[in-house]
Amino acid sequence: MCDLNALWLDVLKIFPILSGEITSPLETVEDEVFENVYRHLESLGTITTLTSILSLEIESTIRNILVPKFWKHFTPTENETPKVKLDIPVNTAAFSDPNALFFTFIYAIDELYNSYECLELIKPRLLYLNKKPLSASSLENTQKTLHNALLAQLPPSFNNFVGDFYSVHFRLFTKDLTLSVNALDSEVFTDLPCAGCNFDLDQCCCQKLTEMVTATNVKLLKMGLIDRLAGSALTALIKLKIKEHINDTCVGIFDRSHLKQLETWINDVVMTWLTSIFTEWKSKDDISQENIPQSVQSFKVKLTYFMYETFAQNVISQFFSIIIDYPDSSPAIDDLKICMEKIDMRVYLTESLRSSLEARILHPGVNTMDILTGYVAAIKAIRHLDNTGVILEIVTAPIKEYLRKRNDTVRRVVTGLTEEGPTDLSEELAKGEFIKYGKDAGNNEYSNWENWEPDPFGIDPNVLELNNSKVIRSADIISMVVDIYGSKELFMVEYRNLMADRLLSQLDFNSEKEIRNLELLKIRFGESLLHSCEVMLKDVTDSKRINAHIHGDENSDESPLFDISSLIISAQFWPSFNKESLQLPVELENEFKKFTKAYESYKGNRTLNWRTVTGRVNIVIEIGDRVLEMTVPPTQAVIIYHFQNKNEWSLEELSSLIKVPPSALRRRISFWQNHGLIAEIEPGVFGLLEKETEKTQFDDVNITDADEEDLESAMASASDQREEELQVFWSYIVGMLTNLDCMPIDRIHQMLKLFASHSGGVEFTQDELKHFLQRKVREHKLLFSGGVYQLAK
Amino acid sequence: MKVTIKSWTGVASWRWIANDENCGICRMSFESTCPECALPGDDCPLVWGVCSHCFHMHCIVKWLNLQPLNKQCPMCRQSWKFNIH
Repeated sequence: MCDLNALWLDVLKIFPILSGEITSPLETVEDEVFENVYRHLESLGTITTLTSILSLEIESTIRNILVPKFWKHFTPTENETPKVKLDIPVNTAAFSDPNALFFTFIYAIDELYNSYECLELIKPRLLYLNKKPLSASSLENTQKTLHNALLAQLPPSFNNFVGDFYSVHFRLFTKDLTLSVNALDSEVFTDLPCAGCNFDLDQCCCQKLTEMVTATNVKLLKMGLIDRLAGSALTALIKLKIKEHINDTCVGIFDRSHLKQLETWINDVVMTWLTSIFTEWKSKDDISQENIPQSVQSFKVKLTYFMYETFAQNVISQFFSIIIDYPDSSPAIDDLKICMEKIDMRVYLTESLRSSLEARILHPGVNTMDILTGYVAAIKAIRHLDNTGVILEIVTAPIKEYLRKRNDTVRRVVTGLTEEGPTDLSEELAKGEFIKYGKDAGNNEYSNWENWEPDPFGIDPNVLELNNSKVIRSADIISMVVDIYGSKELFMVEYRNLMADRLLSQLDFNSEKEIRNLELLKIRFGESLLHSCEVMLKDVTDSKRINAHIHGDENSDESPLFDISSLIISAQFWPSFNKESLQLPVELENEFKKFTKAYESYKGNRTLNWRTVTGRVNIVIEIGDRVLEMTVPPTQAVIIYHFQNKNEWSLEELSSLIKVPPSALRRRISFWQNHGLIAEIEPGVFGLLEKETEKTQFDDVNITDADEEDLESAMASASDQREEELQVFWSYIVGMLTNLDCMPIDRIHQMLKLFASHSGGVEFTQDELKHFLQRKVREHKLLFSGGVYQLAK
Repeated sequence: MKVTIKSWTGVASWRWIANDENCGICRMSFESTCPECALPGDDCPLVWGVCSHCFHMHCIVKWLNLQPLNKQCPMCRQSWKFNIH
């Protein structure tokens, strides 16, 4: 038997860990000692016991000493953690603090690695001692135990440290790139700290730092810790870098494609860097495709997707500007298209676009024309992005809804369609010619089948229910715009009103442009809806001929007081006029009678009803030493005409003479007041001013008011016209209420709709009906109580 | 002060000089067209019968063609003769 104590000492010599000794590198132990220990243990039969003691000891050392010690470096005892958190995202911040962390990390890793190496050495010794192979897994055991222990005690702030470490690394790595980018302003550059280590250039320590980092990396790699410890921090860091890069390079630039460039950047910079971390440090050229480890490959896939996503989000967040810039911004849309093929961003896109549209254009501060322009641009841009039109349908729904609420929308659209000069809408209208004649729509659909895309899935079926996808696909911009109201009829009515206004205000019998527009619209909306417009234009050309004829004929008569030409209209086809009137002085009226007579003899059995209020009169006024020649509306002409014979008129007198209500008359007189010809001498009495007054100085200012007045429509307002239409139903309503005594409004509406479908299909909403009925109540023709209407007795 | 009117461009609507407003056959206004026409006035004129009733020319011609034996005015059942002014 030998001395047990001597044996224990020998064992300790081989395995210093048993005494808690782990830090110092193992001393080499002579073979005799091994021999000796082996022999004794063999005879005692305790080798297996020793093995298990050893592995227990290793485990407990790792768990209780190594790991806590390692983590102690990172626990926020030094109150540094809050600062760290600030520094991580902005890693251009002062270098000193992050630097400290950086060194802490390196030191900690160093320490851990040394201890780890010690422990690793124990195994071969044990093997050697055993003289027979242990189970295969036992060698990995140490690593696994280390991983487990480390992760189990992971302090929350650790990722910051790793992130910081690698952000320094990344900065060092990309230093060359940054340098080349900044090379242009190299003069300034000398004053700046080194891009890599933030020290002044003369004491740059990039090289040193790089070496340290590389060494640490290698250690981590050997312990197999990179994935576990650094994985998430690395991902976070790279994501941050990608975001920064995209923000730096892509924001606000829509006129060229960025994706290619970004992919190259990911490959050249990020992936090379990652590879350099995961493989041992080699110069860039050594890294070939084959020896990129699996983890890096999977990283790459993840990061590429992340890049697409970030980029897409970036584009989407600026989509409003892209829409406005379209078609200049089409490269950006193409980019987004590619991204969306890879990642499903549709919901995000629609949400963000909807809200940005709402914030930017759908509020009272934007005028309708601008909203329409935005709408048209959105249609074009989104079409480009998604030709199935589903996104378009979803995104533009709020715009349509909003435009429906604005009462000048139709007017603006029609103006846009017919206005001189290039507007989106008039261009589109002109395009219509080619669409219709160029290619057959049905033909087109089949010849283009290779570009067909199925309807995207997962969309609200309600959207498709309203418009089947085929309609959405084929709808062009004009029909999308007209679609705002859901009916062409309304549009055409408004178009007719506007055209009537234009024809009546110009009165130059020149309708070529109108005819062209009408032809274009006919292609789109069909003849029947535009029939009355056609008649209106024919009236204009006919009038021109009739005027010429009458003028030529009149030579036989005594020479007329003044030339009359007239727009002779077919009243049935024009919108109804408003009910203003004007009584002409007898001598003027006679002239019109002559014209009427000439007309009657020219067109047998027909006569003319003059609408004296509308028109244009060219007059010359000689007053004092002034001669004014101007073109004014008839009412103004008649007013000043009456002042020829009498210098003072009271409002009532003049009003009853020319049959213009006093309030309207006062407004008309103000036109002459503005010109300094008439003044209100005392309330309600107007007198002629023979002498020029200071007032004329303000002519320029005030004439604009008068001009505005000229623009007043001669037509009855839309609501008046509407009421006239509803008047048709009045007899029905009376009949209904006579039979059924009293009815609530929705029943009346229902019944009338039944009739309406039979009689020419006048559409009206319950609101309109309510308006109409309320008026009847005011006129004491109906009684309204308890929610029901009944006839007034 | 002297006001001289040099020229006047006015607006007037034309109408038929007739004793009724609507065509008794198609019930459309005289100033409008018969159901078959697009343009009113010259292209869809009125005609008068000696009975003083008048109709869109196209309407009454169609009506007369449908009467196999004696051509009557649809309003007063007198035999129809065109009243040429």
